Amino acid sequence: MQNPYIPYPVVVDKIITEVDTKDIKTFRFKFVNPDDEQKYAYIPGQFGELSIYGKGESPIGIASSPTQKGYVEFTVQKAGVVTSALHEMEEGTMMGLRGPLGNSWPLEFLEGKNIVIVGGGFAFTTLRSLINYMIFGDNRKRFGNITVIYGARNPGLLLYKDELIEWQKRSDLNINVTVDKGDATWKGREGFVPAVCKEVAPSKENAVAVICGPPVMIRFTLPVFFDLGFSKENIITSLEMRMKCGIGKCGRCNVGSKYVCKDGPVFSLAELDKLTPEY
Amino acid sequence: MEKRLIKKDALAGIAKKMAEKLLVWAPVKKEDNILFEPLQKNAEPNFAYLNSKNAPKNVFFPHTETMMKYTRTPKGMVFSAEENKANESVLFGVRPCDAHSFALLDKLFDQEKYKDTYYITKRQSTTVISLACVKPPYASCFCTSVDGEPVSSEGADILLTDIGSDYLAEFITPKGEKLAGYFGDTKADATAEAKKNDIAAKAKEAINSRIPAHEIKPILDKNFDNPFWNTIHGKCLACGTCTYLCPTCHCFDISDEVKGSDGIRIRSWDSCMFPMFTRETSGHNPRSSQKERWRQRTMHKFKYYVDMFNAIACVGCGRCVMSCPVNIDIRKIVEDISKL
Repeated sequence: MQNPYIPYPVVVDKIITEVDTKDIKTFRFKFVNPDDEQKYAYIPGQFGELSIYGKGESPIGIASSPTQKGYVEFTVQKAGVVTSALHEMEEGTMMGLRGPLGNSWPLEFLEGKNIVIVGGGFAFTTLRSLINYMIFGDNRKRFGNITVIYGARNPGLLLYKDELIEWQKRSDLNINVTVDKGDATWKGREGFVPAVCKEVAPSKENAVAVICGPPVMIRFTLPVFFDLGFSKENIITSLEMRMKCGIGKCGRCNVGSKYVCKDGPVFSLAELDKLTPEY
Repeated sequence: MEKRLIKKDALAGIAKKMAEKLLVWAPVKKEDNILFEPLQKNAEPNFAYLNSKNAPKNVFFPHTETMMKYTRTPKGMVFSAEENKANESVLFGVRPCDAHSFALLDKLFDQEKYKDTYYITKRQSTTVISLACVKPPYASCFCTSVDGEPVSSEGADILLTDIGSDYLAEFITPKGEKLAGYFGDTKADATAEAKKNDIAAKAKEAINSRIPAHEIKPILDKNFDNPFWNTIHGKCLACGTCTYLCPTCHCFDISDEVKGSDGIRIRSWDSCMFPMFTRETSGHNPRSSQKERWRQRTMHKFKYYVDMFNAIACVGCGRCVMSCPVNIDIRKIVEDISKL
């Protein structure tokens, strides 16, 4: 019987500071036992428990794509005890990783459809995983048009800046990056995510919108998609709750009869409508 | 099924005999309370008890337990050992309501996909001996409203029923039969069985606290926002006593403790009654007041658990009713919901 509470040993292989404020970093982990990478086979949209012995664990969405071999990445904002300890770490440090946990972005459901990805701020991490998965090699053929609308408060807060540039060079991706307010060097788009969604106006035909962002962005973005004719079955999002066990036992992350850790974190709006509004 | 008769004054001796070889959890008197504790040499188990102050869930799900150990190295703290041992044990003389709770906890901790190895290891190495309630211990007992009975073998490997002159011992499972050797060799005849059935029927009849626990599920399905939820929590102190004493409450916290260069990861009981239980790092709390917490507790027992496992997560032991410092009564809550 495998003990699901024992983390895989990992080493912090690389740390990338993502934003000007330096409080969001991407941590690249390598498995200490090479066999564990196979055991950690994951799907975009799943999360892991970053486990720092002596501090605790923190549930974080997986930011890398399963097509990226040899490592797994998490983009983490410095906030509480565990994430602050993580931000103090140096490359080469050992720690633990549990998972992969939760359901995932519904890849089978997304296949053959036009995909609209909407991300706001720091919530872009598992969307980045999904994008990198969909555009990898032959995977790209399995999906229709891919439209990405990604916004941050200012240019310094955009994640994955190098990748954004690479993505923009591709002809099979429609990338729309926006900031609430630009600076002297910003040549891109300015405007809030909901407004940009309205402007880009992705067609509802054979399309699914995958939306992740701060509550205020979600609140103003959803009406745009309803106006565009997207049904609640075709709008997908991901929830966050306080978690401990990650496997539906410790009792704190339930929304009604569903545990966000085990039955989520990904839900369609139609599914969320059936749950209690307690998140 | 193997059935035997044992003399009533022989019961304590059997428990003590088992304790020579096995870890025996038995009801013992501690100050004013009866608690299930490992039976020490020369200690007397108390089988004339009503029910234990605490639910005996701690045998499988201790109040605090070490999950793993780790140690400091130049490259950071690293895992050193899993802590998950269990001795061959006997839980001797639990009430049928508490044994019923084990069957309910199994549904959560022993699921197909995620197995809680800490709970399962202890559960598998423990034989549960239930001691039937031939008379309802308390006026607040309501087991018959939540799929229980005062004389029931649910969740038990052996069931003991006081039939007047003797105890009837029924060996329900192969695990129970393995311990049959401790129970003498007087086979029970049909008369003993008839007596037991008669006693069981009378005991069931004697439980006169009844609540419409099964009727409220469809009402809860539709009444998440009912103003009724404003009426329960006003006097709640958020002390968590109800959840700590509850045989089916299973929420827990995981935390780390470091001393010098070594540390342990532990899990401890937690409670949905506590504000910090769901508070997120950002400060956002999806269950922001005691109202939401009481709704969660009620919903979890009478709706969510039914949705998830097709069973009510309450065994009718009445501990929360008896021990709540401000007399919040789950029976009244259920009654009130049934009238919404």
